[in-house]
Amino acid sequence: MTPKNNLVIGIIIALVVVASYNVDANPIEFAEGLPNLAIVVEEMLLVEPKYIPTALWAMLETIQMAFIGTVVGTVIALPLSMFAARNLNSKYVYAPVRALLAAIRTFPSILWAILFVIMVGLGTFAGVLAIVMYTIGFVAKLQYEAIEAIDPDPVDAVSSIGVSKWQLIRYVVIPESASHLLSQILYMFEYNVRQTSILGLVGAGGIGFYIINYIKFFEYGKAAVFMLVVLAAVLFIDWVSVKIRDKYIVKSQHGMEVTTK
Amino acid sequence: MNDVWTSYDSKNFVLEGISLSIDRGTNYAIVGQSGSGKSTLLKLMNGMMIPSKGTIKIDYVTPNMNNKKFKKMLHTIGYIPQSLGLIKNITVLENILIGALPRLNTIQSLLKRFPEHEIQEAKRIISLVGLSGKEERKAYMLSGGEKRRVAIARALMQKPTILLADEIVSELDHVTAHEIMNLIADAQKRMNLTAIMVHHDMQIALEFANRVAVIKEGHKILEIGIEGDSIVDFQTGNINTEEIMEMYADDTKK
Repeated sequence: MTPKNNLVIGIIIALVVVASYNVDANPIEFAEGLPNLAIVVEEMLLVEPKYIPTALWAMLETIQMAFIGTVVGTVIALPLSMFAARNLNSKYVYAPVRALLAAIRTFPSILWAILFVIMVGLGTFAGVLAIVMYTIGFVAKLQYEAIEAIDPDPVDAVSSIGVSKWQLIRYVVIPESASHLLSQILYMFEYNVRQTSILGLVGAGGIGFYIINYIKFFEYGKAAVFMLVVLAAVLFIDWVSVKIRDKYIVKSQHGMEVTTK
Repeated sequence: MNDVWTSYDSKNFVLEGISLSIDRGTNYAIVGQSGSGKSTLLKLMNGMMIPSKGTIKIDYVTPNMNNKKFKKMLHTIGYIPQSLGLIKNITVLENILIGALPRLNTIQSLLKRFPEHEIQEAKRIISLVGLSGKEERKAYMLSGGEKRRVAIARALMQKPTILLADEIVSELDHVTAHEIMNLIADAQKRMNLTAIMVHHDMQIALEFANRVAVIKEGHKILEIGIEGDSIVDFQTGNINTEEIMEMYADDTKK
């Protein structure tokens, strides 16, 4: 360990201590609070199984919201990503599109949800809109990065035939960048299910609505049922997407490693 | 095509005062070591690069991507880059149909609706290049030789008058290289193409071309014509094969 490294580590520790003081993050309070946690956990253990059907329905609603949001968001994001890619457009096209996408990504989905609750009222529709916005911001970014990373050789070879820009996009850019798309959509869907589970906190529908209400009324046993259902659903979706990935993506990426040279 | 051209790069000259004239229907070879500027030469011919000095003309048109008249000509100039530029995730047939894109209108091409006669033409070319039965393979599954066949087929699909190929057989074994070269020579004769091929192997160039230009460090040092077994040096009028080969060997080993 060099003196320089020690100095860096020392500074980081000092910053953590100062910041903790500033934000009142006190480890002693944490220790004192542990018995409270025990009480909550104890109450949560009084799981009320008769709420399981309700929780499953709420989860199904959440997954549907996330599904609509992911599909609609991706459909809007794909054309935007074409305009945001630096290798396909002039600065005057990609710069404003990128700025717009960056602005969309600045808000976490829960802020979008608040905005849409104000716009269209309480309920699942506001949640769906929030997920759409969030998906647009992220899928478009991931996808324009994929487009910018495509192999320039096929682009050069096909443009030297004298094809139009649309033909180039249709026959080279889309197939070359599509291999990442499925994996991105799966990731986005998983992420959106988790996001949608908390949107209920601001009244934008989904299973989070139940969780926040039961917690407010100190009915931890009921809240626990819903939280366990979320956990199970997320694990399940994760497992399914790993299966899909193994089946479709690993194969094509193996092929990607074979260069044409 | 009968044009004189010279070309320069902006600061460091890759090509210094090269003049070539290539007749229509010739099987022309450009030979040189890597870094001699021979790939640049091809890119100048299809307008991907423009010379900083000097002029290039193909059928009296200056190659330049921004020139509308030339962009139309590009439709019938087949260019096979050294990296081939195939699209890996689509099939052999789809890769080859790309050569027909200039003949499609916007709506047909966006919907991927290739007319039946184009598909038939693609299939005919596939059997011509010896890829029958592999139409539906994805490009990344193919061997090096097969990939080159696909690239050739894509170029032939353009119904080309000129075929430019950059070191298409350099990385292949002897037998496969000859198969590929025979294939091109065949197509060249049958379609009366002007084939302009870059090689780093003199032997291959002498075997298949009618004319060979040797480029070294951006200069043309030799231009020879081949008729049957005899080789003629156009600059000196020398017809001694061995002497020319020695000169080439000297020049490339230095």
